[in-house]
Amino acid sequence: MSRKIVKNVGTTERIVSIALGAYLGYNGLKNLRYQSVPALLASGYLFVRGGLGYCPISRWLGKKDIHNPAINVKAVMTVNKPREEVYRYWRALANLPSFMPHLHEVAEIDERRSHWIAEMPGMGGKIEWDAEIVKDEPNELIGWQSINGSPVKNAGKVQFYDAPRRGTEMRVIFSYHPPAGGLGTAAAKLLNPLFKGVIENEIYNFKRVMEAGEIPTTDGQPAGKRTGKLKLI
Amino acid sequence: MKALCWNGVKDLKVEKVDDPKILNERDAIVKVTMSSVCGSDLHLINGFVPSMQAGDILGHEFIGEIVEVGPEVRQLAVGDRVVVVSIIGCGECEYCKDELWSLCDNSNPNGILQKKVFQYPTAGIFGYSHLFGGYAGSHAEYIRVPFADHGAFKIPDDIPDEKAVFVSDGVPTGYMAAEMADIKPGDVVAVWGAGGVGQMAIQAAYHLGAERVIAIDSVDYRLAAAATHSKAEVINYRDADVLDVLKESTGGRGPDCCIDAVGMEANSTGIEHYYDRTKQFLKLETDRPAVLRQAIAACRKGGTVSVVGVYAGFADKIPLGLFLNKGLTMRGGQMHGQRYVPLLFELIREGRIDPAFMLTHPTPLRDGPKAYELFNGRTDGCMRAVIMPQQATEHIAGAPSLINIVDKENAVGLPVCE
Repeated sequence: MSRKIVKNVGTTERIVSIALGAYLGYNGLKNLRYQSVPALLASGYLFVRGGLGYCPISRWLGKKDIHNPAINVKAVMTVNKPREEVYRYWRALANLPSFMPHLHEVAEIDERRSHWIAEMPGMGGKIEWDAEIVKDEPNELIGWQSINGSPVKNAGKVQFYDAPRRGTEMRVIFSYHPPAGGLGTAAAKLLNPLFKGVIENEIYNFKRVMEAGEIPTTDGQPAGKRTGKLKLI
Repeated sequence: MKALCWNGVKDLKVEKVDDPKILNERDAIVKVTMSSVCGSDLHLINGFVPSMQAGDILGHEFIGEIVEVGPEVRQLAVGDRVVVVSIIGCGECEYCKDELWSLCDNSNPNGILQKKVFQYPTAGIFGYSHLFGGYAGSHAEYIRVPFADHGAFKIPDDIPDEKAVFVSDGVPTGYMAAEMADIKPGDVVAVWGAGGVGQMAIQAAYHLGAERVIAIDSVDYRLAAAATHSKAEVINYRDADVLDVLKESTGGRGPDCCIDAVGMEANSTGIEHYYDRTKQFLKLETDRPAVLRQAIAACRKGGTVSVVGVYAGFADKIPLGLFLNKGLTMRGGQMHGQRYVPLLFELIREGRIDPAFMLTHPTPLRDGPKAYELFNGRTDGCMRAVIMPQQATEHIAGAPSLINIVDKENAVGLPVCE
């Protein structure tokens, strides 16, 4: 096989795989019977997985490399306000926390650079990073990314188009990646699918803040005893 | 405060809950004086609308008094007597600006969740499941009203409570049903369902120029009310073949406009009913569309079918071949109440629409579960039970007395359509 294998099992997981493989193999060989065959096969698989750092099953499940999982959220929406106004609000990055509550604060250092403070699930507290605007075409496009050395790599892009009679069409991409290698686990924890849903909702909040001036909520309203769960079907 | 909560299928409880608070700057708090049951609540109570959770406060058709306003509320003041539209609209999105309030982009906090089911989010509704926002409802002493400047309307002094309360939902839904039916002078209009919305659709249809309106139902006292209060001809579908009668009575043409004011829990006769019941029970269809089928079948060629009865999801055996080949127009929607309220006040003042007769059962809050039982069972002449949360006793002082609905025996001599 001449194709280069892309590793998709992290260091910790490789050590665990080899340890588990050794345990199963030892037990299987100690009292060798027909029933031991599955355990021995599994042991072999775990040894290969740990040794190569590549797992076909993980790959099949969608984990293509060690850097995964990352969060990439794409959203399109139409905001019933003129393009200039919509662009201006987003371009003032300090406004982002007004519709993205997971961002605690975004402070603009100068024209291009900004300091971000975020609270993220699983991170136990705030994380901070610096970002810079890498592309800025007034009323058309804003692109930013965190600068090197951030604990979490964040990047995003917003494009603005006219929607005749209906304001502005927007395409938004928002992404979080844990930095390559190193510092894996803590940063990786935040990148769960639930967080993706949160970001998606928060991007949609932009429209609500721009149009209605507030984010609709029921948090804090009265209710009777919640004796059962919400059932969608 | 006390509130009437959904606790499970056919299980309602009056519970002690926290008082509502202002949560957003455009909110107001309303002290509820009247809060009506509505046929669409029955779909929640009977378990046919998904995304309910034990503890949800029911109720969406109500009037009351403003007791607190948020800092961004401009048009309302403490003490105002208001009717609040059941549907919540932000007033600023493309849809609200076009007066399509029930399609508001911004009023549903669970819009993203709803998008997964309906593809696009629609407006929040008070007390009407979490897909529609999970807002606490009005069967309570107090309620929080978001975007209050748009949803709450001051009631003119000369319009009494027992008329104003239905301007929240029943009257605008019926009016919009008639408006969507595209009635032209001389038209014959058939209305399926002689409940509150059906009654209002009949009255609105006459106002919009209908020559004759025919009401179809199986509950005699409701047909009697349709005849006496709303001046319709009536058909009891248990006694007659509806399609035959409609054809016979319109010179073989069929009604020009057909209004479905029944929706997903339609009853029918014979094998069709058991077919739909079984499929709905097995969750192979969410809705029993017997009325929609009949309306499409009955409508004259080139006519209009207008749907305001609530449907939740999917239904079978809709005769699309008839719909296409007869060249029908079909329209539907949750009402855009904010668009109609001022006009409806005017029509009520002129006596062209009169909903007061629908208030058959004024009820203290603690009897809420009993009121829904009466209403769900179509018993005791119940058109609409109206909960009066500020009245603690069985005997409600100053409440309109029970309106004497013609009972079954007296129903002889009604203008039965034949």
